[in-house]
Amino acid sequence: MASASDLGSTDDYEALMSMTDVELLKSAWRQEKAAPEILQFESRLIKRVREQIQLMEETVEEFTESGFDPLTVSLYQMDLDRTQFLLRSYLRIRLQKIEKYMFHIFATAELLTRLSKEEKWFIERCCVDLQTHLEKSVLSQLPYTYQSIFQQSVINDETDMVAKPQLDTFIVCKTKYYLGHIQLEDNADGEPDGSGSQKPLEEPFEMEPNVLYFVRYKAVKKFVEEGKIDLY
Amino acid sequence: MMYGTKAIQLVKEIANGEKGQLTPFSSDVFSEVIAECSQHFADLRSLIRKMQEAGLDVETSKNEDHYGQLIHHLSLVRNKRCLMAYMYNRAEILRNLVWKVGSEIPEEIQEKLSHSEKEYFKKHSEALKSYMSRVVLELAVDMVPPKDPYIKVRVLDDMGEVELPSDNTANFARHSMHFLKRTDAEKYISLGKMEELTS
Repeated sequence: MASASDLGSTDDYEALMSMTDVELLKSAWRQEKAAPEILQFESRLIKRVREQIQLMEETVEEFTESGFDPLTVSLYQMDLDRTQFLLRSYLRIRLQKIEKYMFHIFATAELLTRLSKEEKWFIERCCVDLQTHLEKSVLSQLPYTYQSIFQQSVINDETDMVAKPQLDTFIVCKTKYYLGHIQLEDNADGEPDGSGSQKPLEEPFEMEPNVLYFVRYKAVKKFVEEGKIDLY
Repeated sequence: MMYGTKAIQLVKEIANGEKGQLTPFSSDVFSEVIAECSQHFADLRSLIRKMQEAGLDVETSKNEDHYGQLIHHLSLVRNKRCLMAYMYNRAEILRNLVWKVGSEIPEEIQEKLSHSEKEYFKKHSEALKSYMSRVVLELAVDMVPPKDPYIKVRVLDDMGEVELPSDNTANFARHSMHFLKRTDAEKYISLGKMEELTS
């Protein structure tokens, strides 16, 4: 739970403690669903949720066997089903992102460390399998200076063939904090997007608590990673 | 014939196709584009040789042969992008298919795939299955948020006596209707052997 656990003040701590693990899972699921790139795997949270699911399953089974009121049992079951859906969907969304951007994630150390042990294993397999497939069906039949899977030819940029997530996509978000100094349009991160004329806004953008904003993911990426912004 | 017109056919096939649906693998066009790439490369090299034989510096001389090379190079790179986009997008559709049908390629799709694509489908579905067994969790169920733990279904395919994950058995005769746990029914619904009845 690296992203949400390093909160500073006691207020945050109390707010965090008042949330159940299922609520935390729901929020992690929502973040993952809305963010264009893969986020830190919430390993400790997932471990706890899985333990709780097991406990709930045992409880439901016990109730069923001891002839509890079926309505009560089905309420427990429904709760269990919802949690399981969240868990599965969370893992699924991550896998689908991994499938989509495998070469990019695999080649970027910062992103690779965000994956769980099993996901790391999975991405390695994915890359090998897709690379083998593309080499066999396309690349091996091209002239040798054009055989790279990552670049168009030996004289091109090193990774100009690798699919990357679109970080300048718009997201809906809200924060519990007051966040200042947000650069909305910065092209200073070494990725000129061709429109050199685009100047940064003069005033840095500020986010007030509990107001809904619609901004580019790139501008608030840092705060999302720090767990200070909730995506919707 | 203008350079690159064949390659664009491949990309159009992907772009015009119904989303998520595979078209038969265009092996003829595909090999024609590959052949075009080899031709470009041969032409490119002969232009380099021509310049070298005339004693010109290949890096700095900007004569017509230099720009000829550039045309061949750019055409080749464009063809490569089209070929790769074609295979890459088809591979993506295949991966999404793995989520829906598991490890068996449906027959009507089987015949649309190249040999390497069939191989890839198999490999990728193994990888996904192996991930699931590593995390000890089946992920191909619960694809939509649960509303009710029980659903009403109609059996579409005669399956006879079947043991369900929840340890019950049921007789799934064709057209029979059942009131099942959603998690029990989901597998059959995704395989098209059952349909959910919504009131």
